[in-house]
Formats: sequence, C-alpha cells, structure tokens
Amino acid sequence: MSEYIIKQSALADFFKSLANGRRLLSPQGVGDKCKLEETAPEKVSLDFTNTHMSPKSLLFPQTERLMAFHNEHDKPNGYVFQSALDSGEPTVVFGIRPCDARGLSIANKVFQNDRFTDPYWKGKFDRTVFIGLACDAPLPQCFCAAMGGSPFGESGLDVLAFRQTDGLGFKALTDKGTELLKAAGATEADLAGEIKSLEAKAIESQGVKPNYQPIDNLDLMDLFKDPHWEATAENCLNCGVCTFFCPTCHCFDIQDENSERGGVRMRNWDTCMSWLFTVHGTGHNPRPTKTERVRQRFMHKLKYIPLKQDGVRGCTGCGRCVVMCPVNIDIRSVALKMAQTAPTPA
Amino acid sequence: MNNPYLPYPVRIAEIRVETEDKNLRTFKFEFLNPEDEEKFAYLPGQFAELSVPGQGEIPIGIASSPSEKGFVLFTVNRVGQVSSYMHNMKAGDIMGIRGPLGHPYPLDKLKGRNLVIIAGGFAVTTLRSTITYLLQPEIRPEYGKITFIYGARTPGLLLYKDEWMAWEKRDDIDVFVTIDREVPNWGYKVGFVPSVTKEVCPPPDNTSALICGPPIMIKFTQPVLEEAGYQPENIIMSLENRMKCGLGICGRCNVGPEYVCKDGPVFTLAQLNRLPKEY
Repeated sequence: MSEYIIKQSALADFFKSLANGRRLLSPQGVGDKCKLEETAPEKVSLDFTNTHMSPKSLLFPQTERLMAFHNEHDKPNGYVFQSALDSGEPTVVFGIRPCDARGLSIANKVFQNDRFTDPYWKGKFDRTVFIGLACDAPLPQCFCAAMGGSPFGESGLDVLAFRQTDGLGFKALTDKGTELLKAAGATEADLAGEIKSLEAKAIESQGVKPNYQPIDNLDLMDLFKDPHWEATAENCLNCGVCTFFCPTCHCFDIQDENSERGGVRMRNWDTCMSWLFTVHGTGHNPRPTKTERVRQRFMHKLKYIPLKQDGVRGCTGCGRCVVMCPVNIDIRSVALKMAQTAPTPA
Repeated sequence: MNNPYLPYPVRIAEIRVETEDKNLRTFKFEFLNPEDEEKFAYLPGQFAELSVPGQGEIPIGIASSPSEKGFVLFTVNRVGQVSSYMHNMKAGDIMGIRGPLGHPYPLDKLKGRNLVIIAGGFAVTTLRSTITYLLQPEIRPEYGKITFIYGARTPGLLLYKDEWMAWEKRDDIDVFVTIDREVPNWGYKVGFVPSVTKEVCPPPDNTSALICGPPIMIKFTQPVLEEAGYQPENIIMSLENRMKCGLGICGRCNVGPEYVCKDGPVFTLAQLNRLPKEY
C-alpha cells in the first residue's frame, strides 16, 4: 500500500468526498464532551485530543435490540422471535485514534471468534471505513507504546492520517482505504521516512516505557496465585467505570423486556466487576469477592487475551480507565506488579 | 447471515415430572420447522440455550441422544426465573432453543477404550445422552467395557428410572445405582458416589472416565480415580458457569483464558489442572 497527501486547501473537498454516499462520523466537542458524531464535511476538526468514551459503541451499542416477538396466539409466529438485525448505513469514521482502532480490532476477534460470528457486530463492522488520525502529541495518561501499540499504530485502520505542515498525509492500509483516497483525489507521495520520524518523536514524548514483557513469559497460574491481588483490589469499589470506558471490554448481559403485545430481547453492556455477573442459580459464585473480580479484569487484559490473540495485549494504553477510576487504580502499576511475580521453581 | 442469537422455535410436546420433589421436569421439544432439526445436529455433551420469549434464556445440557430423531430432551431443575416459568408451561406451548453449543464428549477419540461413566444427581442428563448414543447396535461394538455409576440422595431423586433399569438388564453395560442412605425395599447400592466408585471402578488400563455431578461429588471422586491409577488426561469432566450468549463473547463464563461455553463445557482434568478454579 502506498502513501498520499492532500493539501490544506483541498481538505474541504476531501471531507465532502468522504461523506458522499456515507455517514461521516468524527470527534466533535471538547474534553469530556468530545464524542464521535455525525459530522457535516465542513465541520470536521483536527483539533481534539481523543473522544471521552471509546468508539466501541459504534459497533457494540451500550444497549441494543437483538430480536422481538408478538404474543398473539391466533396470528402466525406468536411467541417466535424475529431478528431485529440492523446494520445501519455505510459509514466512514474520520479521526479515530490508533489506540482505539487497535481496541476495536481486539474486540473484533472476540465478536468474530474461532467458532461464532456475532452478526450485530459484523454488520456494522463491515459497513464502516476507519480513518485514523495519528497522535503527534500524546496526552499525559497515554501509554500505547508501552502496551505494544504506537501513536502511529495501524492495527484496525483502513487509512492512517497524520498532520503535515500543509494539510494531511495518509497511509493506505487496506483496499477499502486505497479506494477511498483515490476517489477523493489524493496525490501519491513517498512519506515513509516522514512517518517514521514523526512516530519516533511521538513515542519519545510518552517518556520511559515500563517493561511489561515478563508477564508474557510468566505462567498463568503463577500470575493468578500471586499474593498481591488482595492489596491491588483493596481500594476498588467495583463500580465498573473502567469496563465501560475500555475500548476492548466486550462483556454484555441479555435481558428480555415485555410489553402488552409481546416483547424484545436486548443486550446491554455488563461488567465483570459485578457480583451478579458470575453468580450461579445455586448461589455459588466463582468470583465471590472483589479480589477475584479485580484479578479477572487485569488477568483478562494482560494474560488471557494475549494467550488467545497471538500475544497482543487486551490493553491499548488509551488511558481512560486511569483517568476515570475514582480510587486511582492504575493498570500501569498493576501490570508492573504482575511483571514482578515470582515464578514457581520448575 | 446466520444469527446464532436467534432461537429455533419449538413446541413443547410433553412434560414429564422426573423427581418426587417435582423440582425436575423433562421437556420434550419438537421443532416447528423440520429443517431446524437438521441445523440443530448435536453430539452427546453439548448444550443449548432454552429460550422463553419475554423471560430469558438458560443453558441446559442436551439429555436426548442424536440417535433419537424427531425431538430433543432437556431436564430442567427449577431454580430461577426462566426455569420456574418453564415449570408452569404446558404441552403445546411455543418457546425456542438455540444451539447446539459447546463441545461434545470426545467419544470419537475414545473408540476402542473402556468407559466408566459417573453421574451424580441431575447432572446425569448429558450422560443419559452419551449412554443412549453408545448403546446403539452399530456404535456399541466400537467401545470396550462400559461401566455406569449413578447416585442421588434418595430413590425419588433418580432421573430416567425406566431407562437405567432397562440398561441394568443388558449384558453390554454394568450399571451401579446408589442412594445416600438405606431405605426399605431398595434393591441397589447404598453409599456416596465416591465410595461406590472405589468399589466398582474398572482398572485404569485403556479406560477413560466421564464425570458429571455436583462439585462436592467431583471433589471426592477425582482422588478415588487418581488413586486407582487414572491419568488426568483420561478423566473427562463437564463444567458449568453462568452464561448468557453461549458463543464466547459475553464474557462471564471464563475459566482463565477458556470460555466454558465455547471452549468447553467438556475439559480433561489435565486441562483443568492448568487453569484457575473459577467454576
């Protein structure tokens, strides 16, 4: 794939071309009001840090109708669920950050796993083109590079865009992305060197990278049994805010809702921080206290997902959980504690 | 696109009360659309989500055998919202089932081996499926000696009475049924499953054990088998955890990196020994 440029003077036309026949979404608003919204081409802004919430709700809404039924016995299909699958219109997202795109690609391997495909996710996923905007100035809470990503990361993107002195540079990463750039009249250019030096600068601005590598080589059960978990979990309120903000957290609950004429089956975001999440019908709970639940969250991100996804960690370093946690639990220090686990002698 | 969340509509053909406390009922379902029965092709050890519109879903092991055509069987304990609602449904009512889910017992890999099948309480369901499957005339010769150990607290809590009594009369399966305490006119074994296992379980050579039961039974049966020389690779168990999707996505049934729904529910003891005991 190759690189392209669009000069500042042509950007307005570029965004118009993106919106041609598609819904254009981009980050709008500032600070904790910044979110992915349908955007008129002239309103696209490059002046944002990152969206307050992760973009996962685009493909995995916080609450989503899966199916519906009617309860009239005398009519056909009484009490038979009919799918409410709605994949929406073709969409292009401009300005997703590389950490979040990587998050979506990790969740994608769960929603489209080795045995099953989630049609609600896949429908939206296949209809969306992702144009990432590289981070030339990462925030203080950002640590994508330490987690194996990069402010110029490409995972989960169709196109990576980055700011130039005059306009935007692009790296096409998929056929979908190349087509889009060509249709928008982008000019081919050799930007490999420029991307490399900008990326190095952005990574450097994240400071010294802590070494989480030992986690990858430690035995699952050694990490699981380490005594630090009780202290690590001590402050946790089990509020679940980390899980709702996390771009890779994919857990959900399924609930039926009834009305006079029938009902719907909904799915809603759920959280492993909840006691109810795992309790059996008998009352037995495999994760009965917050220690087990906190351990589950970090083990899932830093050990279970890497074991299932060729070493890719389930944390992308977006920093949202670090900022949002009301008791300042920081996944970076938890990861360091895990990295210091003493292995059981062989 | 195939939608694995969408249940196949079924009609309740028959409901049988299984136990004296009436807490267990066996539901016989027939598919509303005959082609769905083919799509629901399953093997012993798999489970399905029983789906009651407006109430929710419960993951339940399939009690019928793939050799039984035209219907599927599930035995449901009355525990929560959905199962209690189901206990008040009647023949003719419409609901849904979705699956089959999970992996079956690895019966194809066990060909030529002896099998000891150990069940406790109402966890016998998927093992009823297994035995019914194995006893088919064209399948039975593919396996060695089959021993079935089945225990419940009282005679009235034993499921599938007609069936195990018929199996008992056969000469190609050894059946040992036990209850916790002696009662009048009980002609079978008395004692807990682990001690009966100790007494009757065949030697471990070329033998695999399939176990399904409450945690307390498994906890005390496992050491009996290990003491008898069974290797962890040859002790095969079926786990349960709270589930919603059954597809390895909704996240709650994991045991370490494995999802009980998608990667299990059948695991060998060797696999479980390397995983957290979060079940």
